[in-house]
Amino acid sequence: MHSIGRKSLIRTLLFIIAILWLGSTFDAYNQGQLAVVLILFIGVLSVTILTGISGQLSLGQGALMAVGGYSTALLMTNYPFSLWVAIPFSIIGAAIAGLLLGVAAARLSGPYLAGTTLVVALAIPTIANRFVSVFKGDEGLPVDVGYPPAWFSNAFGEPSYEEWQLYVALPFAAIALFFASNMLLSRSGRMWKSIRDNATASSLTGVNYSRQKIYVFIVSASFAGLSGALYGLRGLVGPSVYPVSLSLTLLTAAVLGGIRSIAGAFIGTVIVVFLPDWIDLVVENFELSEQVSNYMPAMISSLLLILTVVINPAGVAGTKLHRHK
Amino acid sequence: MNTFLAALFSGTSRGAIFALVALGLVIVWRGAGIVNFAQMGQAMFSTYIASTLIINGNSYWVGFIVALLSGAVLGSLIDIFVMRPLSNKKKTELLSSESMRAAVPVLASLGILGVLQALAGIIWAAEERGFPAPAKQEGFTVAGNAMPFTAFDLFVIGSVAVTLILTTLFFKKTSMGLAMRATALNQEVAKLSGIRTNLTRTLSWAISGAASSLAGLLLTPSSNLSPNTLDLALLIGFTAAVVGGLDSPAGAVLGGFIIGMVISFVTFYDTPEDVFLAILAVLLLALIIRPRGLLGSKDVRRV
Repeated sequence: MHSIGRKSLIRTLLFIIAILWLGSTFDAYNQGQLAVVLILFIGVLSVTILTGISGQLSLGQGALMAVGGYSTALLMTNYPFSLWVAIPFSIIGAAIAGLLLGVAAARLSGPYLAGTTLVVALAIPTIANRFVSVFKGDEGLPVDVGYPPAWFSNAFGEPSYEEWQLYVALPFAAIALFFASNMLLSRSGRMWKSIRDNATASSLTGVNYSRQKIYVFIVSASFAGLSGALYGLRGLVGPSVYPVSLSLTLLTAAVLGGIRSIAGAFIGTVIVVFLPDWIDLVVENFELSEQVSNYMPAMISSLLLILTVVINPAGVAGTKLHRHK
Repeated sequence: MNTFLAALFSGTSRGAIFALVALGLVIVWRGAGIVNFAQMGQAMFSTYIASTLIINGNSYWVGFIVALLSGAVLGSLIDIFVMRPLSNKKKTELLSSESMRAAVPVLASLGILGVLQALAGIIWAAEERGFPAPAKQEGFTVAGNAMPFTAFDLFVIGSVAVTLILTTLFFKKTSMGLAMRATALNQEVAKLSGIRTNLTRTLSWAISGAASSLAGLLLTPSSNLSPNTLDLALLIGFTAAVVGGLDSPAGAVLGGFIIGMVISFVTFYDTPEDVFLAILAVLLLALIIRPRGLLGSKDVRRV
């Protein structure tokens, strides 16, 4: 087997084993949190690919997640599709949205792209209120992962709902990890890095600059769509599930962990998801008002974002982890 | 006809405020090469300071002046403690590419926005509170008919006009303004000719902070004050700045009025829900047809 493929496969297998082991030691609440980590990890990977690898800063990944979530919810409520069929279709849907966004974004750079995608993140969820008959407005569309099939329960025993959420998210996260790892090590990944580092030099070596920028958007949108579909399957797909702050959370996670590394994406996601719990552990020793503890997670993660950017822009994982010859 | 007039007047008054927001963005962009996504967070924070003063029995004008000053101070602090260290950072492997150097200040400003909003939530409770207007918000009556134009609208347009005239005079007629324009044109050359570029940078953050605080004071009477109230104003202001040209103060004003009219007419003739989509449409149109903006100079975007 090709060495890149083998490397990615080993990474993915280790990842699956680690998650299964962690899941077996956690209680139901933390299993649910771990499922959220896996789901958002896919979304953070979309940021890592787009911003860390190809250098395009997008603040609108939440809108692409919404596209994935709504596609899945519409397919599952209006047609007799299971989530295993609906999710691949919604990835295609998100990829098409990514193509449209990419065509517009290929002309933009830096703060222009950031601002435009931020407006996209704000505008797209309002479509749900524009066409209430289809998207059910603010109420949203209730969907969930349902119950495990009989063969699963027979083989592994009856899992709790949170545990089942974890088992549904795991294969998708593993596939996403495998693809991301493969892509970064392969020819496309190197082309995207060249676009990021020096656009002129990259064009001179024969990279079709604008076309590759659009490709990155499509790939990144597929990851975001998958993440959004799973994110909605926790119970509800609605405008409130995909707010602008979701896009910023993904970006924060990617930067904290290390914007250029897959391991960093995972570390960052763990930080962002578990931060409120960790803060609660500390805060409950002090007599603080509810208001303080409500805003503490946002406060700490924003402070961490500033400190990371100013002191150590490479993030927790640094850039060494994925540097290769 | 009445709806048309109402839309026109509301568009003028809203447009004036968005022109101010856009102007704040343009001043920092010219002075420091950064789009400041924390700008309306700063405005929200200083509006809260004004609101607290007014609730504790001070007059509106005390709150007004203190808010403008604290906006300027907050802007300077952000530059001195976050943005200046960032721009003086040595080029590491990560920061060697142009795309990442453009992305890093955006990330920092988003972090600042988060901190300001969380801080406001912790200090001033999360529940919304009203904010007073210095003038009546009922329409004038002409021959027994209520007109869609209020004394507050007059105040808005008047104070925005004064701000625009003052900033124009400052940039065109004072030596400090000249130094700031030189820095915007070419930082290296400005430095070599003896301009303290660190000072001019901080000053542009201060002016922008004061201008956006004024925008915050003018926007909140028509909605309510909460840590997130002004988020939307930032995006509208950004769109206005892009439409007019991110490096052109006159363009920012023009863009502000255009986007104010678009929002107002969509609200009156269609539904308010479509406002977001309309903003997105205007932004995309502007970027496709004239990416440098109506009054922007040619080489504003290096792709």
